[in-house]
This record gives sequence, structure tokens and C-alpha cells, in this order.
Amino acid sequence: MNAFAKLLTVMMIGISAGAHAATFTFTAIPDEDETKLRSRFDKVADYLETKLGVDVQYVPVKSYSAAVTAFRNNQVQLAWFGGLSGVQARRLVPGSEAIAQGYEDQFFKSYFIAHHSTGLTKQESFPAIGGYTFTFGSKDSTSGRLMPQFFIERNLGKRPDDLFKRVGFSGDHSRTVAQVEAGVYQVGAVNYKVWDSMVAEGKVDTAKVSVVWESPAYPDYQWSVRGDLDAKFGAGFKAKLTAALLEMKDPDLLASFPRQSFIPADNEDFKPVEDVAKAIGLID
Amino acid sequence: MTNRLRFIGRWQRLTLSLWALCLLAFILADTEIIALEPWNELGRMLSGVLTPDFFATEQLIDALWQTVSFALLGVGLGLIIGVPLSLVYHHPIVAALCAFIRAIHEIFWALLFLQLFGLSPVTGILALALPYGTTFARVFHDILCQAPKVTYASLPYGSDAVSRWLYGKVAHVLPQLLAYVRYRFECALRSSAVLGFVGMPTLGFHLESAFKQGHYSEGAALLILFIALIGTLPYWCKKALLPLYFIAALWFLPPVANIDSQLIWRFVSEDIWPQAIRDWQLGELGLAAALGQSASWAFELLQTQALEGIGATLVLAFAALGLTHLLVCLLLPLGYTALIGRIGAGAQRFGLLLARSVPEYILAFVFMLLFGPSMLPAILALGVHNAGLIAFLSGKNIKDSGLETEGCRGLDGFGYQVLPRIYPGMMALLFYRFEVILRETAILGMLGVATLGFYIDSNFSEIRFSGALLLMGVTAMLNVAVDAIARRVMGEQLRQPQRC
Repeated sequence: MNAFAKLLTVMMIGISAGAHAATFTFTAIPDEDETKLRSRFDKVADYLETKLGVDVQYVPVKSYSAAVTAFRNNQVQLAWFGGLSGVQARRLVPGSEAIAQGYEDQFFKSYFIAHHSTGLTKQESFPAIGGYTFTFGSKDSTSGRLMPQFFIERNLGKRPDDLFKRVGFSGDHSRTVAQVEAGVYQVGAVNYKVWDSMVAEGKVDTAKVSVVWESPAYPDYQWSVRGDLDAKFGAGFKAKLTAALLEMKDPDLLASFPRQSFIPADNEDFKPVEDVAKAIGLID
Repeated sequence: MTNRLRFIGRWQRLTLSLWALCLLAFILADTEIIALEPWNELGRMLSGVLTPDFFATEQLIDALWQTVSFALLGVGLGLIIGVPLSLVYHHPIVAALCAFIRAIHEIFWALLFLQLFGLSPVTGILALALPYGTTFARVFHDILCQAPKVTYASLPYGSDAVSRWLYGKVAHVLPQLLAYVRYRFECALRSSAVLGFVGMPTLGFHLESAFKQGHYSEGAALLILFIALIGTLPYWCKKALLPLYFIAALWFLPPVANIDSQLIWRFVSEDIWPQAIRDWQLGELGLAAALGQSASWAFELLQTQALEGIGATLVLAFAALGLTHLLVCLLLPLGYTALIGRIGAGAQRFGLLLARSVPEYILAFVFMLLFGPSMLPAILALGVHNAGLIAFLSGKNIKDSGLETEGCRGLDGFGYQVLPRIYPGMMALLFYRFEVILRETAILGMLGVATLGFYIDSNFSEIRFSGALLLMGVTAMLNVAVDAIARRVMGEQLRQPQRC
């Protein structure tokens, strides 16, 4: 018992002694390929460090909701969010704002993909997919859940649960592709970039699964910052950070996201996402 | 009825009713097999297993070490919580409170603590320590109750309470207590890995990403390491080395951010309350209206999510329980050396190691590709995993019983001498494990089977903590109720729950 009492004391000391100096922290979850997150984003941290002149650290997280929590709790001051998680996070942190988005994120889109057994082919109008089994990506994904569900409800007039034989959440875009390819689900919705790069890398058998519908464009990923940035790191810090993000030109760094470049953005740009999230009841 | 059936023994009756109940659950469960073309993906998996890539994961050594470290610290803190509680466990309120805490899966404790402490090791260690501590409380209490009373009664008059407890009780059952802690440590390694799924820096962090995104060579390498870690436990987990491990675990702990009391206060004062109550706090709503709206909010949540979730959870858990029992009955004789031979028994032991080490999540993943998105993959995953564990522990009981060397040979020897001897222990393990199965349905909920866990996960990802908390409460009550009923069914004889 005595040893355990000591252990407890040590732990308590450990807990109280861990205070940090002012380090600027950020998090990011790329929409494809989550391997070697730390090595990839440590390079981004190094880049920001040279541009900003403060210690910059990357905090790896596992899900959008974890990223939102970290942002809300001030464990990170900057985050690369999806459209929906950005909206969620900025609602929770007064004064926070979107400062930049990916070039591609101005006109992001989702693909609806179908297994060959459905006989569906690519078409302009929204396909009649009622009655099939259907899978979204992860529950809090913009391109794999939010927007697809919105387009389904708007075009077919019913909630997914009432429309499909089964509704699943694969948890990840590449899972969605693999599951529809295997016929686990007959139809699915997926981030267009993930699909395109999987096709380019030969990871999909396009005889088994193909794109049947392309969604209209909507805004997606963005960099969001907390409102108290200048107060904590000095006046003009936010402007310096925004400039550093927009000036990021090294293809090696950009490949981590992966985006061709970053362009300016503000909260208003993501109003459509917020409206859609409200419309389908994901936020109140 | 019972009188006429008296010729059927107690254990036969229990087994048959168990089967009937589980069969009913299986019939109710959605077990449709959907014709698929899984071979492309399974081929990729197989080639991944054949070409494991041990260099694909960054900071692999660190992840391995943190898996061990979180497990050690979790069990350590769990003991600090559990030992004192075991002294007062006879108090019904303590027992109920412990059952409540135990009933909630580590993952959900972690998601909860994530809000309070952020991505800090405190989150992971507490998420392990709470359920493990309360489990220790129950099991230690039960083991201590079974200690012979002789010594206790014969200690000299005036002995102090601590000595009486140590010499009169603990000394008698110390090997059992230690064996249990050891077993729990193996469980903690698994749980610690699983905590990686929600962001702790353990093996699960990389394992989940690798499987989710189809990097099977990386996934296979991680899985092999994890199985090796558990398989070699007896070789590296030596008593003499434990203090060293503890010091190292504390020393190499990832940085602990300072605990922000504001976050905790915000969580208990704002986050966990339904919107209407918060409007009342802000003075935008009268108290009566706020209570009314909260009641209808809670009612709707219970109606749309909790009821459905309870149904799916129970059906899945019972079907998995039945499958577990069947598999254990099939697997046990395969490990009996006197029946099957040395090589066969070795193969069985390796199979059991695989079955109990591979996380249910990964098993369900593979089964889903094979059988489609019904409840079947989840039932199979839970069944295989738990059968692997129970067969492993029962196999140990067979070994300890010494029957094997007493010449109980052949199938007859196994069926008439070995099985009757270990069957009560095995059934007790199975019923204890049911509590665990019920909790584990939560993980499969995250894969999409609409159990309570599925809805809790949805509420967390929609940042609706009040809903998540309400459903966690429902989950805990369900587990407590099922546990109470199970104890009643098992009868007085087995009310002393078993080592496991």
C-alpha cells in the first residue's frame, strides 16, 4: 500500500507541475491518409515557427470532435477543420474565426458511388437510390455525412433512415469506398478528392464501384483560430499567422493537407454549411 | 414443472435455458447475410498480413511503451481506488455505485474526461482506473469473503484491525488476489490499446487509422506486435521489475497539461445540462418552463434513442453470450493435451491467444466484409473474442486441477471427469463476462450497430454532452439491472462471483 501512496503523491506532483510556457499549438486531420501525422505536421510546425518567431507544436488528434474539444479547451489555438467541425468549434468559442481555406475548398464536392449490382450509372439528376443500403463516412464529416444527407433529404424528401434499407457510418472515406466496392453497402457518399486519388493509385476496382452522382459545390476545410490570439501572443499575431498560411508554397508542406494552396476566408464563407447542419438537425 | 424436470440436473437446466434465451436473441437479431464480393478487399488484407511493415508507423516504440505505461498506471491507480472500496463493498450503496461506474465502457469514460482534462494522460489513466478500480472492489471483496475464518477467529485479543485484516484474511487468499491483478493487467493492456481509438498515444491510435484507411501492412505489423506483447506477458512482467516499470511509466509519461478548473466547472455547470436548463440559468426562461422542456427533451431522447439502443444492445449481448458458450464448449476439449496431443493443444493455445488479443473492433471489421452490415459480424466478433478468453482461463483451471496427469484420458475422461469439475467455474466466468460483453457492445456501436454505444458516440460527435450523459446513465442502469437479474437466476450458490 505504501508504494501506492507514494505513486499517488508522485502523480499529483506530476499533475500540478506540468504548466506550459506560451507555446503556440495547432492540430490538423487531413481528409486522406492519416499515416505519420506527426512527422508530416512537425514540418508545418517548423515552418510556422520560423515565420512567427514563437514555439509551435503540432497536437495529433483522432477525430473532428476531439479537434473541436481541443480548440474549445484552448489546447490548440489553430485548427485545420472540416466544414462542419469548423462551424461547431466557432460556435463554441466566441470571437474565433476562419482565416484561410484550401484553394480546393471553395468548391468542394461529394461523390455518390454505387456497387455495380445496382445497375446505376452516372447521371446529372439525383439518382433514385431509395430502398438500397447506404453508407455515410464518419458521423461528423462534412463531405461524407453532412452534405450528402442534405442532398438526399432535399432531393428525395425523406430522412435517410426512412429512405434506405440500411444506413451505415463507415467511419472513413476509404472505408466507404472499400465497403461499396465489396457490396457491403450498395451506395455510399464520399469525399471527391479521396475517391479521385484512390482511383489514380489503383486502389479501387472501378468495374465494381463507380461514381453515379456529383454533388453541387460547397465550402469545406478551413483554418480557424481562437479569438484571444493577439492578447496571448502579441498584437498583430493573427495577421502574421494568416499571412504565413497564405504564403505557404512548399509543395511538401501542402501535400500533407493535401491542398494546392491556401486562400483567405472568413466566417461568412461557411454560413451555407451552418445552415445545412441546422436543416438536418445536426446542430441546434 | 420443476418437480417433473428434476431428473435434469441443475447445470443442464441452466445451460438449456441459457441456450433458449440466446437462441431467441439470435432469432430477433438482424442476421441477414448479404451476398458480397469481398475478395478484393480480403485479398488486400491477406497480402497485408503476409507483408507486415514494421517501419510504417512513426514512434512505434513510444506507442508500444505508452500502451504498457497507461495499463500499469491505470491498474495501479485502480488498486488505490479498489482496495479501500473492497473493505466497504458489502454496503449496498457502495456496491451499486461501483456497478454503475463499472458499467460504462473505458472509451466513454475517456470521451468524458477528454472534455475535462483534454488530451492529457490523466484522461486515459482515469478512464482505465475508474472501471478497473470498481471491478477490483467487487472481486477483492468476493475473494476475501471466501477466505477461511479460522485464523481470523484465533488471532489474539486486542489485535488491531489492520493486522486482523492482513493476517486473518489477506494472507489466506493472497495468491488469488495477485493472480487476479495479473489477469486484470492483461485486460488493461487491451483496454489501453483501445483508448488509442479516441486519441491516447497508445497502439490503438495507429492501429485504428491503419485498418480504417486500408494500410493493412502497417495494421498487420501493429497487430503482430500487440499479440506478441500480450503473448509474452509472463516473460517480461516480473514482480521484481514492476517498481522499475512504474518509475519509468511516470518518468516517460507524455506531458500533463495543467488541469484547468474552469473547464471542469464549465462542464458541470453548463455542458451537461439540456438547453432549456441553460436558458433558465441565463434568465431567458422560467423555471417551470425550463423543467417542462427538459422533461420532454429527455422523454424524446429516451424514446427515439435509448429504447432502440437498449433493444439492440440486449439482443446483441445475449446472442453473443450464446455463441460464446458454444464456442467455449467446442474449444475446450481441443486444448486438452491428454485428448488431442501436444501439437494440437499448442495450436489451440495459439488460436486462443489470437482470439483474445485481436480487438473485437478489428474482428468485426473482417466479419463485416464477409457477411455484410447486419448484426452478425458484431455477434461473431464478440463471441470469438470472449470465447477465446474464457477458454483460456478455463484451460488454466484444467491445468491447475491436475486431472490431466491423473489419467483422465480420451473423450470419456474429458466429458465425465474434467468437464463436470470445471463447468461451474466456467459458467461463472461466462456470466461475469456477460457484464463485459454488454459493455463491449459499445465499441461495436462505434462501428455502426445501433446499440446504446452508437447513440452515445453520435451525441459526443455532435457535441451534445447532455444527451451523451443521459444515455450513459441509461447504459449503466441497464447493466446494473441485468447484473441483478443474472445473480438472481444464478441463485445463491453462485452469488459469490468468481475470479475473473
